[in-house]
Amino acid sequence: MIWLEFTIMGRALLSCVLAGFLTGLMGVFVVRMRLSAIGYSMSHGAFAGAALGVATSMNPLLTGMLFASATAFLIGPVADKARLHVDTITSIVFPLNMALAFVFLTLTPEIGLTSQVANVLWGSIISMTNSDVVCLVTLSAATLVIIHFTWKELFAIMFNRKLAEADGIPTKPFIYLIIFLSGVVVTVSIKLVGGLLVYALLFNPAASALQFLEDIKKVIIVSPLIGAVSNLSGLLVSLFLDLPVGSCIVLVSTIIFAVAVLLSPKRRRTEVEKN
Amino acid sequence: MNPIIKLENVSTVYEGENRPAIKDVNLTLERNEIVYVVGPNAAGKTTLLETINGLLPIFKGKVSVLGLDVTTQGRKVRCKIGYVPQDFMVEPGEPYTALDVVLMGRYGKIGFLQRPEERDRMKALEAMRLFGVEELAGRSIGKLSGGQQQKVMLARAIAKEPEILLLDEPFSNLDPESRGKIPHLIRQIHEENELTTIIVTHDIHSMLKQCHRTLLMMNGRILMDSNPEKVLATINNKSITFSREVGQ
Repeated sequence: MIWLEFTIMGRALLSCVLAGFLTGLMGVFVVRMRLSAIGYSMSHGAFAGAALGVATSMNPLLTGMLFASATAFLIGPVADKARLHVDTITSIVFPLNMALAFVFLTLTPEIGLTSQVANVLWGSIISMTNSDVVCLVTLSAATLVIIHFTWKELFAIMFNRKLAEADGIPTKPFIYLIIFLSGVVVTVSIKLVGGLLVYALLFNPAASALQFLEDIKKVIIVSPLIGAVSNLSGLLVSLFLDLPVGSCIVLVSTIIFAVAVLLSPKRRRTEVEKN
Repeated sequence: MNPIIKLENVSTVYEGENRPAIKDVNLTLERNEIVYVVGPNAAGKTTLLETINGLLPIFKGKVSVLGLDVTTQGRKVRCKIGYVPQDFMVEPGEPYTALDVVLMGRYGKIGFLQRPEERDRMKALEAMRLFGVEELAGRSIGKLSGGQQQKVMLARAIAKEPEILLLDEPFSNLDPESRGKIPHLIRQIHEENELTTIIVTHDIHSMLKQCHRTLLMMNGRILMDSNPEKVLATINNKSITFSREVGQ
């Protein structure tokens, strides 16, 4: 029994660290490429997919991934082809995904907050299986390899997409790559923090790192670390206070962001300049 | 001799607009030509540059640059063009150094999956030295003044070792001293490297000193393609007003 608990805790700790690392990493691209609205919609796409998985007794990870990918496809290539502004398409897709998620949850045989439904909504460390951990490890390795090889192009696009295009970099495939990778990362993190809060994992660490650092090469290292620390601390807080892990992670990462804003050297300088 | 830039009956329409931003434009530029483009606001000057480098898709006509069709081979073309966009300014907290920004100018040239090497870094620093911003290499781009940022952008265009330079109001944020020197420096770089250069400007004085050919644009058309003195006379005769004061 002790061994079992250790395994559950080990899985939870490793999952938290890896999910925090991955979302913190992808968040830098999402924030710098101004894809926040897209990330938000994809998070809820993954949420709707996971809800469908619960309702139909399919693997929520798989259905979540499918929905996040479909959302990414709608917001990326389809919206580009239809010449729809990103605000327009995300404003349509976001409530659509939320509506679908609640419809799917209502279709669950035992209507109400069954444990599976609650997991999709708020996340759960106990629900992390060995295959989830393997999935996170594989995804982390694959993401690092992809970013290593495409860093030059991503670095330029994060600075200014139009300039990168003017320099001869084909920006669209790289932006689609980030959208799809973020969708996958968000989906595998849903089990941990839940569909309603997962977006904070993507945004908060990057936003915090950008308060402190003036070199994007440092931001790309520090943001995943903040993500990992937020998740780990959130997990420990949730264990001590017996609160939902997703909520605790988001609360911790929000506190880190608030502290980053308060202590940010950028803001101190701005105030000095004003005086 | 093959022209370096050739526009044949080109019209460009912005997305959602009914009226073309440039209309039925014909233009030919040979190697080593330097051309200034002047005209009032919304004359189509920026659109002309962005049509040449393929950033804006054309609605009608044909654009050939370095013998390549821009519509189908825009990316290849852009790898050989040094481009400075109009009024490019970054936020104070931008997490990039000035050297990062200049070095990025070479990325299209370096190629996919390749990393910049020491030679690329040296080229970037050399370009920064030319514009007197080498000592700012390690500073955050957002912390530089408007004039310094403009010099960094010019260095970025030159660091690329381009065959064509497209500069959109590259002197607008410079201090008076630099405004005297930089057009001369660009002329020098243009001649040493046998470039083909188009400069959009409101600075008529630099135009008079630095080129033999000037385009006057109005309402999306090239109204006049002549020497700067004649163009200036036309501007004065027609009382054309620019957004920035003429001669400033």
